Amino acid sequence: MDLKLLLDWRLHLLVIVTSMFAEWIGILRMPLGPGTLLLLPLLYAFVIGVLFNPHLFSGMGNIIPKPVSHAAGPVILIAILPFIAKFGSTIGPAIEQIIAAGPALILQELGNLGTMLLALPFAVLVLKMGREAVGATYSIAREPNIAIISDRYGLRSPEGVGIMGVYVVGTMFGTLYFALMAGYIASLDILDIRALAMACGVGSGSMVAACSAALAEAVPASRDELLAFAGASNLLTYATGLYISLFIALPITEWMYKRLKGNSHVEARHES
Amino acid sequence: MKANETAVDQFDAEALKELRPENQLGKTALVLAAVCVSAWFSNLVNGAPLLDALPGMLILYAMVIIGLVIGRLCPFYLPSVAWVSLISILATLPVFPGNGWIIARLAEVDFLAVVTPVLAYAGLALTGREFSMFKQTGWKLILVALLVFTGTFIGSAVVAHIML
Repeated sequence: MDLKLLLDWRLHLLVIVTSMFAEWIGILRMPLGPGTLLLLPLLYAFVIGVLFNPHLFSGMGNIIPKPVSHAAGPVILIAILPFIAKFGSTIGPAIEQIIAAGPALILQELGNLGTMLLALPFAVLVLKMGREAVGATYSIAREPNIAIISDRYGLRSPEGVGIMGVYVVGTMFGTLYFALMAGYIASLDILDIRALAMACGVGSGSMVAACSAALAEAVPASRDELLAFAGASNLLTYATGLYISLFIALPITEWMYKRLKGNSHVEARHES
Repeated sequence: MKANETAVDQFDAEALKELRPENQLGKTALVLAAVCVSAWFSNLVNGAPLLDALPGMLILYAMVIIGLVIGRLCPFYLPSVAWVSLISILATLPVFPGNGWIIARLAEVDFLAVVTPVLAYAGLALTGREFSMFKQTGWKLILVALLVFTGTFIGSAVVAHIML
């Protein structure tokens, strides 16, 4: 990618103005049923970004030309790094609490298997998806998981299309969805807030960010502890999540897919 | 058909390149400076005045660069986010010399303010391909993806809840 485009002043200036405006609006709380939805500045920043996107409204090409918009893609990955560094700095001071919670932190990785229990049957039985469903639902579709699928099936296989679809959705909406979901589930007060913080760690950097920030806003008193747990969990996701998805999640998904497909064939025959 | 395939090829190649910011350290260092400036200004509203936050932002910048350099030199592959995170953890451990000073400087940088510009970049970066994917068959994948996220989150939270 051309350096001139990556450093285009219009892009960065627009981002600065957008971010400052979003920060100025601040955090809004919306009661919803038994819980509360937390709207964070990052949500407004995303929406404003989309509104200025030249691919959606061609008139915006005058402010941000399309090539500059393409350059913003790689910029995201770099922009998340200072945040990751800030995030890590919450783990160091809390190292003793994290070690004390060690077994929970390591075993919650197995909770990733919840993905296929919920999403795989829905994809196969309700949406009638094919092999795409294996790629789409065996994991949370972050970079290490893509590497596994690309290694096993190739990225242009149906499995590859499935995982890239979820990856793109995750990149676009994952951050927002995690923030809304985490804040909401926290406000329901069913699960230990530290358990929710660890669960935040399953996502990509920005998902973890939004998720744990939402939790910290929901329970400001334990802010530092929550950030530390989410960060530690995310680190373990990178360290151990790869092996869990390769040796446990993918084989189980394959097995369940065959079972589910078998059943739906039988059902189809009954109908005809 | 052929045009379609080349588009996918390009997408694959781009996606892979994007996944490894440590491969182009010089470029990354400059872009990183630009995004740090964005975060610095974003932090102005609810975080701290520019001068107060400057040391903290410089520390974050240095941590990222150190992490990327290690990721580049290291013989086995770990994502750059993992290295950056490890560096930052080490520098803030109670045994690390000067950790108190580092933590105090970083306290001037608001956690949420740093991530706000990232989402602004993300909104601007969406391509026509992504918009059209959502207009056509995307709704199935969106539903599945949201279920994937919900399932993973709740699955992990329940296991952790039982273990705590």
